[in-house]
Amino acid sequence: MAGLELLSDQGYRLDGRKPSELRKVQARMGIFTRADGSAYIEQGNTKALAVVYGPHEVRGSRSKTLHDRAVINCQYSMATFSTAERKRRPHGDRKSSEMSLHLKQTFEAAILTQLYPRSQIDIYVKILQSDGGNYSACVNAATLAVIDAGIPIRDYVCACSAGFVEDTPLVDLCHAEETGSGTAVALALLPRGGQIALLQMDARLHQDHLDPVMEAAMTACRSLGQVLDGVVRQHLQEVSILTGE
Amino acid sequence: MLKTEKVVVLRNSRRGHVRVVRELYLREQVPCFSSLCQGHCSNEGKVLPGDITHYVVPDAGVVRDFLEVLEFQELRGIVFTQTACQVVQHTRGRRQYNRLKSLLKDPRHDCVLFCNEFQLYSYCPREKGETQEKWHTRCVYRAAVWYHDHLAGLKPVVMITEDQHAVAEYNRLTSGVYVISTQEYLQSFWPDLQAAQELYISIAQVLQERESEGQEREYAEHLPAEVLEAGIKSGRYIKGTLKVNKHRAQQEAFVQADSSTKNTELSSDVLVWGMKQRNRAVHGDLVVVELLPRGEWKGRTIALTEAETGVEERTGEEQSQPMPTGRVVGILQRNWRDYVVTFPPWEEVQSQSRNSQRILVIPWDRRIPKIRISTQQAEALQEHRVIVRLDSWDSTSLYPNGHCVKVLGKSGELETEIQTILMENSIHVLPFSEAQLREMLLNSKENLWTVEAGEVAERRDLRTTHLVFSIDPQGCEDVDDALSVRILPEGVRLELGVHIADVTHFVRAGSLTDLEARSRATTYYLADRRYDMLPAVLSADLCSLLGNVDRYAMSVLWELDAKSLAVCKVWFGRTLIRSSYQLCYELAQSLLNNESVEVPELAQLGEVDKKKRLKELKTALEQLTKVARYLRTQRDRGGALELEGVEVRAQLDAEKNITALVPKQPLEIHETVAECMIYANHWVARKIQETFPQQALLRHHPPPCQEHFSQLMDSAKARGFDIDSCSNKALADSLDRAVDPHDPLVNRLLRMMATQAMSNAQYFSTGSCPLEQYYHYGLALKHYTHFTSPIRRYADIIVHRLLTAAIKLDKGMEPNETLASNKELEEIAQHINNKNRAAQQAQKQSIELFQCLYFKDKDPLTDQRCVAEAIIYAMRANGILVFIPRYGMKGPVYLKNRENQVVSLRNDGSCEWQAGMLQRYPDRICTITSNGIHAFSLFDHITVRISVQALRCHPDSLCLEVISDRLQEVAKLESLAAGKGRLELVQEVVRQAEAASQQVEEQERVPQLSKEEREYQQSKGPNLYCLLQEVRELALLDLSVGALL
Repeated sequence: MAGLELLSDQGYRLDGRKPSELRKVQARMGIFTRADGSAYIEQGNTKALAVVYGPHEVRGSRSKTLHDRAVINCQYSMATFSTAERKRRPHGDRKSSEMSLHLKQTFEAAILTQLYPRSQIDIYVKILQSDGGNYSACVNAATLAVIDAGIPIRDYVCACSAGFVEDTPLVDLCHAEETGSGTAVALALLPRGGQIALLQMDARLHQDHLDPVMEAAMTACRSLGQVLDGVVRQHLQEVSILTGE
Repeated sequence: MLKTEKVVVLRNSRRGHVRVVRELYLREQVPCFSSLCQGHCSNEGKVLPGDITHYVVPDAGVVRDFLEVLEFQELRGIVFTQTACQVVQHTRGRRQYNRLKSLLKDPRHDCVLFCNEFQLYSYCPREKGETQEKWHTRCVYRAAVWYHDHLAGLKPVVMITEDQHAVAEYNRLTSGVYVISTQEYLQSFWPDLQAAQELYISIAQVLQERESEGQEREYAEHLPAEVLEAGIKSGRYIKGTLKVNKHRAQQEAFVQADSSTKNTELSSDVLVWGMKQRNRAVHGDLVVVELLPRGEWKGRTIALTEAETGVEERTGEEQSQPMPTGRVVGILQRNWRDYVVTFPPWEEVQSQSRNSQRILVIPWDRRIPKIRISTQQAEALQEHRVIVRLDSWDSTSLYPNGHCVKVLGKSGELETEIQTILMENSIHVLPFSEAQLREMLLNSKENLWTVEAGEVAERRDLRTTHLVFSIDPQGCEDVDDALSVRILPEGVRLELGVHIADVTHFVRAGSLTDLEARSRATTYYLADRRYDMLPAVLSADLCSLLGNVDRYAMSVLWELDAKSLAVCKVWFGRTLIRSSYQLCYELAQSLLNNESVEVPELAQLGEVDKKKRLKELKTALEQLTKVARYLRTQRDRGGALELEGVEVRAQLDAEKNITALVPKQPLEIHETVAECMIYANHWVARKIQETFPQQALLRHHPPPCQEHFSQLMDSAKARGFDIDSCSNKALADSLDRAVDPHDPLVNRLLRMMATQAMSNAQYFSTGSCPLEQYYHYGLALKHYTHFTSPIRRYADIIVHRLLTAAIKLDKGMEPNETLASNKELEEIAQHINNKNRAAQQAQKQSIELFQCLYFKDKDPLTDQRCVAEAIIYAMRANGILVFIPRYGMKGPVYLKNRENQVVSLRNDGSCEWQAGMLQRYPDRICTITSNGIHAFSLFDHITVRISVQALRCHPDSLCLEVISDRLQEVAKLESLAAGKGRLELVQEVVRQAEAASQQVEEQERVPQLSKEEREYQQSKGPNLYCLLQEVRELALLDLSVGALL
């Protein structure tokens, strides 16, 4: 079989999207009542669940306590049934720990931690089904969950991946594109101020191409931000109807 | 957009199956690429025309199996569906898919791709239990229906399929959409297109036969791709391109390991011996070989083999040292092209098998095995040359299967043979299409082309200020370079100008002409004709810098210091020039030599005026020569090589019969012009490389491999010369020293061998090559490119565009055309390199063809012209290789025939065959017979007889036979030449006489010609002969050396 053609001459990607089109996003907030905040997001076939506890006092070793701000604890895991072949180890491997660390960095930049000194916020995310863009789905789900928990945050944190195929930046890569294109950039953005919370790239990319790829990813993040905003407003409406009665 | 899901089952790396779920986004707006579109589709690029009777939608199966039929340019309005394209990609591999893609991109072909699976209304999901083929057919049918509805029923849509059930099921379902079988379609819609129908039938036959193949296995199976991949990585297998030895196609093939191979102990190519070991690989395929154990290694045969002998017994003594030997275990990439074949005689076919529909045909190229094709026309086609395409080669079959594509004509006819040569080199030159010619400007008497006012304002006007002239071969039509030289007003500086035809002004990037020129890449010069890269209106008229007309040019002007000739300033830019003189080389040389000659441009003028103008021109020429000499010495100091190529031109008479073969005469003025061109190329290369360090097209000449020089060194040692090849400077100096005062040919031969040892110069993009590899070895220049012949080379057109962009950037403006990126440029460079190689090959083959034609109708035993002097330049086990200076050709001479007899010499020097044996030494070969021992040493002069060996299936070849070990010149000077130990003075006289006799011959040839003309009662007026003379002149434009420049 010949190799996959990630971008056809007509400008279509494997799944029929144009290079700058996102996958379909569907999200819900407040799905678990036990936790302080929770959210579920689907970006195409990537499905992620995020749960937030806190802020509460620091558990475990007291030494981790910070006196001027809250500690953020992130844990990332993938369900064993999330990939095409069953995953043996759902969490704790190198990749997961790295992802946890990245999530922690992202949210330390977004949450107003200085409001909660000597306390801790826990964010747990789980990938239920993986089809590329795991990091961005996790960030987006966690943002919604943090908002659901009522923790003050600077802005929505919106994340999106982007790749570079045949001199064209592609946004929101699916699994086939992620594995086939070589380069994937993951970018988390605070859309209002345009600050970048996290930018990650593992493979090599020519310096001249970095700007267009970043630009495409940032545009995608902004439109994702609008979607998330819509989800939050929808949720608020539903909740206020419930409580207003 | 609507989101659905598609389930695909893929094979994973461990040969298991994985279920992959892919998303699919459907949209309403998918461009239909039809000019009749009613629904505001954003149709960009190629669009189906509205002036055809119907649109045709081929089914997936048709595209998969009969793509070749759909490639006919006459079939218009084809809509390829995405479904069909994906089927091709998945089942037929990348090669076939790329072919489909290039078909879709080809602007000459009316076909488009419709992405039916992304269209909301034409997408249909696979139903439960539906087979894949049925589903594909249904998708294509839905697409056809959608297309019909989308165009509001303006055009009937025909779907063609191979599936008879589909015809029955869908044909009457929707009015306006017809479903018929491919054969029916071709018969009812294209009854005139006989070729397509025949092609269809021959492919269908092949498909049918493949199903009913026998099971006996002839070859080992190829290993699966994963095993090969792993083997290559671990170094167990070697990956490389298979090259078959032309002279021993049955036995020897070599695999040149590619650079990624890890096996470091491998110093040379890998030998693959015999058809079994070659395991169905064909010349040019990318194969994987496994080395055999050391005990089974073999050496390569070094004896000369006569071409027509089949399998021969070879003994060990005629083989060289054992070299790595291997067998093919897998083929990574087939590189099959179209092959020209000849049908065997009918009687032979009948005896071959009862099943006379399947015939083994013999390819023209000896390196390709016989091909089995099935046809009913075998009887009609015998003695014809036919194009055949390979389909498959199963392990059960001794020969590959193929099918007939096109009939070229009867073998032996000039036209057929020329077409064969073009085809075998993959050169496709159709006449320029109407659409291309429509782009051209007209220049006729009624509609005279003039310079545009806007252009005059933008260009630097040199019409009045500069004396511009061109020097070209006699009768040249496409003058692409002109020169000027003058002393600037202050008198301390000299201005040298090289003016090149501004082709890019007329050929816009991306226009049809540009695309056609790119695909041709160069003008093809064959011995008797040429195929232009650009239409004649450009190449011979508007772009050609003819005398006394205004023309656009691209100029390079240098200001040189008048004394030291160092460059002070250089200017590049577009100009407007008017060439005052259109000189030919001979005329310019005679002007320089102060001979009184008539310049045609001055014929009308008065005596005084004429003298003045003539003096002016002479001074210019002299200055030019002075500058060129200086430039040459500059380069010589850097180590530039003077190389020697054999070049012959065929003199043709009115009926295209060849009357003589004449080697070319070099003049100093040739060198002068060439030097100026090299200088211009060099400076332009520097300029574009500086401005575009990542994407400039340059030409480099990699230093040659030292081992290639071993033959040269050995040969030189035989005469006591020492050749030093450590650098180009050393090589040039040692070649200069290696002059035998008694035999000028020795030096010429040594230079020729040096040329052979060189690698070819190549175009490349600066972004894909490290800086130190830019060097041009032959010219000893750091940067070099081709700039001076845009009319006949596409590379020059690209360089012109780059230079234009560079000038614009200098002026602070943005270039208006986007330049090709490094990747694209590298692709173009590779393409041009390939085409150049093909062009050279084709030219060489056509010259050989003409040589054969020349000698064909001469009786070798009686005709004096078939006897020629030859000089020995290499030794082989059973013969020698000789060079014939008179005809400029090289060939083998056998000293041992098939009855194992060897050449013996009688006392008067003449030869006969006798029983005896041969003994080979590095510098001589001895024949030992009852007549005594005789040695043939390197650089001996002998006399040979030339005869033609006519072959049915392969090109005719020349056969050389030694008739005397002494010279037997026409002037009968052999009495002087006989005996070796004579005084040098005598030899000198002989040589002078020889030279004189050659000149006499040259002069004799002309009356001879007219004698023939008298015999055939031909008019002497301007006839076809004159025309062909002109064409022949053009064919001489520095080709052999051009390969290296």
